[in-house]
Amino acid sequence: MSTQFAFPSDREEQSAAKVRALESLLIEKGVITHTTVDKVLGYFESEMTPLNGQKIVARAWVDPDFAALLATDAPAAVAQLDLPNGMAGAEGEHLAAVLNEPGVHNLVICTLCSCFPWPVLGLPPYWYKDPVFRARAAREPRAVLTELGVPLDDDTEVRVWDSSGHSRWFVVPERPAGTEGWTEEQLAALVTTESMIGVALADAPAPV
Amino acid sequence: MKLQHALGGLEGLETTPVNFEKRVFVEDWEKRIFGIHAAMMGLSDSLRDAGYDMDAAGAAVNTTWTWADLRKGAEAMNPFDYFRLRYYEKWLGGITSYFLQHGYVTEEELAAATATYAETPTAELPVRPSDSIDDQVIRYLRQGDTPHRGPGEPRFAAGDAVTVGNPPHSDHTRLPGYLRGRSGVIERVWSGSYAYFCSTGPDGLGEQPVPVYVVRFEPAEVWGAAAELNAGPIYVELYETYLNPPTTTEDVA
Repeated sequence: MSTQFAFPSDREEQSAAKVRALESLLIEKGVITHTTVDKVLGYFESEMTPLNGQKIVARAWVDPDFAALLATDAPAAVAQLDLPNGMAGAEGEHLAAVLNEPGVHNLVICTLCSCFPWPVLGLPPYWYKDPVFRARAAREPRAVLTELGVPLDDDTEVRVWDSSGHSRWFVVPERPAGTEGWTEEQLAALVTTESMIGVALADAPAPV
Repeated sequence: MKLQHALGGLEGLETTPVNFEKRVFVEDWEKRIFGIHAAMMGLSDSLRDAGYDMDAAGAAVNTTWTWADLRKGAEAMNPFDYFRLRYYEKWLGGITSYFLQHGYVTEEELAAATATYAETPTAELPVRPSDSIDDQVIRYLRQGDTPHRGPGEPRFAAGDAVTVGNPPHSDHTRLPGYLRGRSGVIERVWSGSYAYFCSTGPDGLGEQPVPVYVVRFEPAEVWGAAAELNAGPIYVELYETYLNPPTTTEDVA
C-alpha cells in the first residue's frame, strides 16, 4: 500500500504550532506586531466580504446601465456604489465582470493559482483552490457544473474564464424569475459566493 | 516542466469528485498563515516603487514578498505533495521557507518556538506594538498595488488571430500550459501596459511592462478530441510576451 498521501497523526497540531512559532518570531523581530494578523483578519471579516458582491449584482439586476458599465469597466461601476473603502485595493486593483444571460453561463477559474476578487467576494472558498476543480473545470466545465448541481440546457454555452493575468474576474448570475419589484436588498440575499464564480445559480425566491 | 504549470485540463481526473468545501478556512491555524502572508504583501520592500512610505512604517522588512514569491513556492513543490497538502499547508511551507532563506528566522529558533507552542498551544504571543506597521498593512489592503504602468503599444487588436508561444520552461510562469502553441482570437485589449512582480527568466515575463489581452480559444483547438460535448470557448488573460502572430498550417508544413 502506497504511503504517498500519508499524513502524520498530529497533522493539524504540528501546523498550528509551526504557524504560532512563526508569528511569534516575526513579532519578536519587529516584522509584524502582535495585532497585525488580527487586524488583517478583521478587515476581511468585517469589510471585504461577499456582501459587496451581492450589492453589485443586485444593482446590476435593477439598473441596465450599471450592468452595461460593469461589463465594460467594472472598476468604474463598482466605484459608483456605497461600498467599503478598499474596493480597488489588494486583489481589487483590476476587477472584471462577466454577465450571465439566457443561453450563456460563465465560470471563473484560476488554473495556475487561486486569483480571486477579494474586495468583491472576500477570500476564496476551498473548492475554488482545489487542484481537481481547477484541472477539470478548464476542460470539462459542463461535467463539473452538473456534478455541483447547476442545471444546464444542452444549448446553453458555457464560457470559462481563466484568471492568469492582472484582472480579478467575477460572474453576475442571472436574476431569478419571480423577483419582479423586489428591492436591491431583497435581491442581494439571493446571491451566493458560488453564483458569483459560476458554480451555482442565484437562489430562487422562497415559495410563499 | 511542472505539473503545476499544466494543471488546467489534466486528464485522468474525470471520476475524481470536486471537493465542494465552501469554507475559506477549515482549521483555525490557517487564518494565521493567511494573515502573515497578507501582512507581508503590505510590508514588502517592493511597495516603495508604488509610492508607499516604507521607512515610516518601520517594519524590519528589507526584501520583496509578492504573489510571485508565494506562487514560486507552490510551483517548486513535488507534484504529489501539491495534490496531497491542503491549500494553507502549502502556504505554511512556502512562507516559512522564505523567512528562513532570507534570514528573518533561523532553523534553530523556529524549532525551539515550535516545540514551545506544540507543548503549550495556548501560550501567548509576545507583545510588541507598532501602529505604524499595522497601519501600513491596512493601507496596502485598501489601496493595493496596481501593475498598471502607463500607456501601452499593443501589437494586436481585438479580432486578431494569435498563436501562443512555447517559451522554455521556467521556475515560474503565468502561461497556462494547456495553451502552448494553441491559436485563438483577441477578445479584448486592456488599456495600457502591465508589469509583473518579477522576471520569469527565459519564460519571458516581467522584464518590462507589456500589454495584456483576453484571448478566446475554441475548445477543439485547445483540447482536441478530449474536449467535452457541447463545449464552449475558454477565455484566458495573457501577457503580450506569450503571444505571436498566427502560425498557419502552411507555416508548419
